[in-house]
Amino acid sequence: MPESVDIQLKKGVLDLCVLAVLSRGDSYAYEIASRLAGAIGMGEGTIYPLMRRMQAEGLVETYLVESSSGPSRKYYRLTAAGHASLAAQKSAWESFAGAVTSILGEP
Amino acid sequence: MTRQEFIARLRAGLAGAPEATKNDVVADYQAHFSEAAAAGRSEADVAAALGDPERLARELKAEAGLKRWEAERNPEAAAAAIFAVVGLGAIDVLVLLPVLVGVVSVMCALAIVVIAVFIGGAVMMIVGPFIDGGAEVAAHVLAGLGMMAGSVSSGSLLILLSIGLINGLVWYGRLHYRLLRPAIDPPKASRPGEFATP
Repeated sequence: MPESVDIQLKKGVLDLCVLAVLSRGDSYAYEIASRLAGAIGMGEGTIYPLMRRMQAEGLVETYLVESSSGPSRKYYRLTAAGHASLAAQKSAWESFAGAVTSILGEP
Repeated sequence: MTRQEFIARLRAGLAGAPEATKNDVVADYQAHFSEAAAAGRSEADVAAALGDPERLARELKAEAGLKRWEAERNPEAAAAAIFAVVGLGAIDVLVLLPVLVGVVSVMCALAIVVIAVFIGGAVMMIVGPFIDGGAEVAAHVLAGLGMMAGSVSSGSLLILLSIGLINGLVWYGRLHYRLLRPAIDPPKASRPGEFATP
């Protein structure tokens, strides 16, 4: 079943985007999802399976924060492995994006 | 769909998963509904944006099944992984079944042949010398040993082949997670602009 280029691109960079958001500060799933939904149009349901997988892979870890309104929130933070994965994926993305841009720019 | 309905269907879909996992997953979605409510979104809107709860549950269970196969590598985990991938609907069962049945039958037949050759080798090694009057004891023992060694090595090859086959299936299943498609390309109810942070 052929998928649009758009969806394939998003699938590929979703992990990278989540890692990048978390590298700027710990966050909870709803906030991460809303950041990415606005920026790259990611559906909010995607975030939970993704966070579970990243947690199982040891890229992120969770802790609970008491909230003044309602139940405590589950925050995610990058582990050392998460930071390493972000660095690796970021440089891979930058060299790939640079190569594509230069190919597109060729006369 | 209301929040209650969504959670109930999700919980039902997760039947069979460990209780702790189930509670964990349900808590995630409960929190999501609460956050969205605080942001002034309706339950129906949120449920529509989250997608089909049964499919969500199937995918979460599938991931657990695939993880188990990667960790354990035994026939039971292999069966669980196969069922998980088929359960996802990632592969058209009507297309997959004949292929799978064919491949599995051939592998079973090969396994039986391998075992038969092994037993044959053992029989030839032990019984052969007595039947033929013991004239060619060494020949019989060597031939028997050869047959046994051959069957052991082809048996190992067969096992490696089946592991490779299941790994391929797992890889294919992961590629075709259906959840990501509607979720990445959100339904009209949750176009980016309408997704407000609390």
